[in-house]
Amino acid sequence: MIDNIDTLTRKKILFVIIVGFVLIISFKLFSLQILERSEFRERAKENSLKRIVEPAARGVFYDFNKSLLVSNKPSFTMEIIPAEYDWSKNDLVEKVLGVKKGYVKKILRRKRNYSRYFPVRIKKDVPLSVISWYEENSPWLKGLTYAVEYQRDYSFGVMGSHMFGYTNEISASQLRKYKGEYSRGDFIGVIGLEKYYEKVLRGKKGYKFVIVDAKGKLVRRYLNGAKDLPPQKGNDLILTIDKKTQEKAEELLKGRRGAIVAMNPKTGGIIAFVSSPEYDLSNFASVTPAEVLDSLNNDPDKPLFNRASMSVHSPGSTFKMLVALALLQEGIISTSNTVTCKGGLQFGNRFFECTHVHGRVNVESAIEKSCNTFFYTYVQKLGLERLAKYARMFGFGRKTGIDIYEEAKGLIPDKKYYDRVYGKYNWTRGVLLNLGIGQGEIGVTPLQLAQYTSLLANWGWTVRPHFVYALRNKDGKTLKVLHFDTLRVNISRKNFKIVRKGMYDVVNRKGTATHIALPDLKIAGKTGTVQNPHGKDHAIFVAFAPYEDPEIAVAVLVENVGFGATYAAPIAQKIITTFLRYKIKTTAQSDSTGGVNAH
Amino acid sequence: MRIKYHPKDKFDFVLFGVVLLLSVFGLIAIYSSTYNHPTAHGNFDKQLTWLIVAIVILFVTYLLPPRLYKIVSIPLYVLALLLLGFVIVAGRKIYGAQSWLMIGPFGFQPSEFTKLAVILMLAYWLSRKEVKINSLRDISIALSLGILPILLIMLQPDLGTAIVFGAITLVMIFWAGIDLFGLFVVLSPGVVVFASLFGLPAFILALAAVLLGLIYFKRNLFTSASIFIMNIAAGFSFDYFFKLLRPHQQMRIKTFINPSADPLGYGYNALQAKVAIGSGGLLGKGLLHGNQTQLRFIPEQWTDFIYCVIGEELGFIGAIIVVALFFVLFYRLLDLATKSKDSFNSLVIIGVLTMFFVHFVINVGMNIGISPVIGIPLPFISYGGSSLLANMIAIGIVLSIYRTRKERV
Repeated sequence: MIDNIDTLTRKKILFVIIVGFVLIISFKLFSLQILERSEFRERAKENSLKRIVEPAARGVFYDFNKSLLVSNKPSFTMEIIPAEYDWSKNDLVEKVLGVKKGYVKKILRRKRNYSRYFPVRIKKDVPLSVISWYEENSPWLKGLTYAVEYQRDYSFGVMGSHMFGYTNEISASQLRKYKGEYSRGDFIGVIGLEKYYEKVLRGKKGYKFVIVDAKGKLVRRYLNGAKDLPPQKGNDLILTIDKKTQEKAEELLKGRRGAIVAMNPKTGGIIAFVSSPEYDLSNFASVTPAEVLDSLNNDPDKPLFNRASMSVHSPGSTFKMLVALALLQEGIISTSNTVTCKGGLQFGNRFFECTHVHGRVNVESAIEKSCNTFFYTYVQKLGLERLAKYARMFGFGRKTGIDIYEEAKGLIPDKKYYDRVYGKYNWTRGVLLNLGIGQGEIGVTPLQLAQYTSLLANWGWTVRPHFVYALRNKDGKTLKVLHFDTLRVNISRKNFKIVRKGMYDVVNRKGTATHIALPDLKIAGKTGTVQNPHGKDHAIFVAFAPYEDPEIAVAVLVENVGFGATYAAPIAQKIITTFLRYKIKTTAQSDSTGGVNAH
Repeated sequence: MRIKYHPKDKFDFVLFGVVLLLSVFGLIAIYSSTYNHPTAHGNFDKQLTWLIVAIVILFVTYLLPPRLYKIVSIPLYVLALLLLGFVIVAGRKIYGAQSWLMIGPFGFQPSEFTKLAVILMLAYWLSRKEVKINSLRDISIALSLGILPILLIMLQPDLGTAIVFGAITLVMIFWAGIDLFGLFVVLSPGVVVFASLFGLPAFILALAAVLLGLIYFKRNLFTSASIFIMNIAAGFSFDYFFKLLRPHQQMRIKTFINPSADPLGYGYNALQAKVAIGSGGLLGKGLLHGNQTQLRFIPEQWTDFIYCVIGEELGFIGAIIVVALFFVLFYRLLDLATKSKDSFNSLVIIGVLTMFFVHFVINVGMNIGISPVIGIPLPFISYGGSSLLANMIAIGIVLSIYRTRKERV
C-alpha cells in the first residue's frame, strides 16, 4: 500500500530531520570543544585543583646566649565551612568539643557576612583526642574540618609579657588596612616585640596544590608538588636580653608593683625588662578567655600596664646627677663650691626641707648624701630653661625610640609649660627648687632612667635602647645585626668624673646605699624617693657597674614601699650580680662551648 | 538465469561494522570511566561478556526468517505488556524508577525488549491490507497500540522510555502513509502541550495556530470542533499528568526550560558533562587522563553520561567520529527501509531507526546541554546488558530483512 513516490518524499523528510539533528549536535560539539575549549579547560581545572594554604611558623625569640625565650608549638583548630556544613550536627559537635549548647550556632551567625566557602574557626586548641575522633568520622561530618596552626609556646621560664607582647587574629579593619598582605584568620602582632617586628616575624605562607575528586577528597599532589610553595618560617629574633638576669628580675619584683630596666650602656641592648605584675602570655597564645581578660582589666594592680616604659613618675633624687652636671658644665659651680646644709632652705615664705642636717657639702658629697639643700641653692642659678635643656639632652621628655611601641614621653616642664598650666605670672620660682631635687611636675619612665644611667656610666654616650640584637633568617645561618643610633651628651669628661665619683660614694663611702656595697664589684648608684600624695612613696634606685668599665646600667622602681635605698637598691644589686657573675662564669666556659657571644 | 552470489548480498557489512565500532567505543569509554572506581571496576568485563553474547544472538536473529517476526508480533506484544505490568508490581527500584526484573542474579529491564515488541506490533498492524491509515478509527487503534505501553511505563515512571515509545509510534504512523491532515491531527496536541510548558501566552498562541490549521484544511465543523477541543483538553490534562511525574523529573523539565533555576541540583550533572566535553578540546586529554571523568565529577558516568568520557578523553575527533558512525547507521537504515519491497519489513526498519535516533538525540543532547537530562542510554555505547542485547537483536532483525530483501514475506 506504500506507493513509491510517496515513500521517497517521506524518506526525504526523515533524511532532512536526521541530517538536521546531526548537524546541530556537530555544531554544538565544535562550539564546546573548539571555540569554548579554554573556558571549559579552566573550569575543569578549578573543579579539581585545590590550593591548600600552609601557615608559616612565626620567628622565635632567643636571648643573647641563644637560649629560647619564646617558641612555637602546633595547635589544632576546628573549623566549619558553612556552605557544606549540616546544622543538624551542631549538638554532636558541641558535645565533642565540650562547649555550651548553641555555641556553634552563635559563631556561625557572627561570621555569616563572610564567604560561605571559607572555613570559620570554631574552636582553637582542640585536644588531639578530638582530632582523632574527627578523622574516624569525617565522611559524615561534611563541612567540618580542622587546621594545624602554630601557637606561641611560653614554657621557657621567663614571663617577659610586656616586652614580648602577643598576637591576635587579624581584625576586619586591619585586614582592610593591609589589603593583600593578610587574609582572614591570620595572626598579627598587636603589642610588644610581636607588633614591632611583625613584618620579619610572620614569615611567608606556603601553598600546596592538590587534586581533589568531586567530593573534595584529596586524590594526589598536583604535578607531584612541583608547583608547591613551601612556607617560609619568619626570622628569629636574637634579643639582647640575658635570660638569667630577666628571670632574676621577674623573681625580685614578684608580688610587688614596679619595674626594672637593665641595659648595656655601651650597646644600648636591654638586659632585663620587667613590669610587675606580669601577666601570663599563654592566655594570649590563641583565644583569650573573656574571664581572663576581665580579671586582668579589673585587677587594681593593672598587670596589663607596661610600667617599665609607660609609667611616668618624678625621678626623685636620681635627678640630682643631671642637675649637678648642668651646674658644672655651665660653670656655675666647681668642686670647691660648698653649701652648709642646716636641714633645708628658706625660700620666700616657704621652707624647703632636706632629709638630714648635712653640714658642709660640695657637689660630690651632695650626691653621695643626697643633700637637697645644695641643689635648692644652686638650681636657682641654673634657671628653669637651662634645667629643661639638660634634661632633654639626657633623653627625658621624649620617647627613647625603643623597639616596642608602648612607650611614654614623660614630661620636662619649662616656662612655657607653667605659663600654660597655671597662667602667666601665676607660678613662683619655687617650682624650680622642687625640680632641682627631682620632685614636682617632672615625669620620667623607668626606661628613660635606665638610658640616663647608661649615659652617666658611659661618660656621656650610649646607644638607643633596644631589645633585638639581630635577626636570624629561616635556615638559622645568616644573622642580620641591627644597628641603632647613638645618643651623645655634650658634657666634659671632667664633669662626668665628678658626678660618677659622687655615685660611687653613694654605695662605697658614706652614702645612702652603703648596704649594697660588694668587696669585689664596684657599684655606683643613686637612691631616689618619689613623693606620692596617694599613699606610700615609690622607691627608685639607679646604678651601674663595674664602676671603672660599666657593663650594666639598671633602673629599679618599686611602687608604694617608701625610701629608695631600703627597697630598690638591693634589687639593683642582685640584678647586677646576677648579670656580671653569671657572665664571668660563662665567659670562662665559652671557649669550650663556643656558643656564648659568638657574634 | 543464474544469480551471481556474493557475501555482501546476504550480509550488510556496513551496518554490522558500524555497530561493532560503536560497541568498541563503548568498551573503551567504560574501561576508562570505571578504571579507578571502587565499585564499578568490573563493568568492563561484564560489558565485554554481554557484547559477545549479544553478537551471537545477533547472528541467531539474522538467520531466522523475517516472516517469523510477523507471526510472533502479537504474542510478543501481549507478553511485553504483561511484563511491564509485572515490573510495576514486583520490579526492583533503581535510580528512582521501577524498571528492573531480577531473574536469579541477573537484573534486566523489560522495557528495552518492549520497544522491539511495540515496533513489531505496529509494523504488523500498519502493514495489514485492510487498514486505512487515514481513517480516524485505524489511526486511533495504531495510536492506542503505542500509548498502552507508554501508560504502563509512565507508572514506573520512566520518562525517557515513554518518549522513545511515543516517537516510534508517531514516525511509524507517518511512514505508513498518513496524509497531511492526519499528521496534523496526530501532532497538534503534542505542540500544544509543549507550548503549555512555557506558560499561558504560549499555550493560547499554540491554540490559535491550531485554529488557523483547521481553517486551512476546511473539514466539516464537527470534525474541526472535536479536534480543537481535543487540543484544549491535551493542554490542560498535561498539567495534571505533569503532577503525576516524580519531583526529580518535574525538576529536570523545569531546569531544561530555565537552566539557571537550579545550577547545583539537577543542573549539576548537565553542567559537569558540558565541562568534561568542552575541556576535551580537539584531541582530548587522552584515555584515563580526563580529570572530570577520572575524578568522578559525574556520577554513574558509564551509563547515561558515557558520551562525555569520549568527549573529554578522545576530544572533538573522538566525539565527532561517534556522531558520524551514528549518521551512517541512520542513513543505512533509512535507505534499507526505502528499498524494502515489503511494508512490514520497511516499517520494522523505520521503527528500529526511530528507536536508535531518539536515544541518540536525547542522550548526546543532554551530554552537550541541548536537551534536558532524561535518563536513557546511548545505544551500543552505554554500559548495560539488556539495552545492548535488545539493540543487537534489533540489528539482527534488520540484517535478516536485508538477507531476504528480494523476497516478499
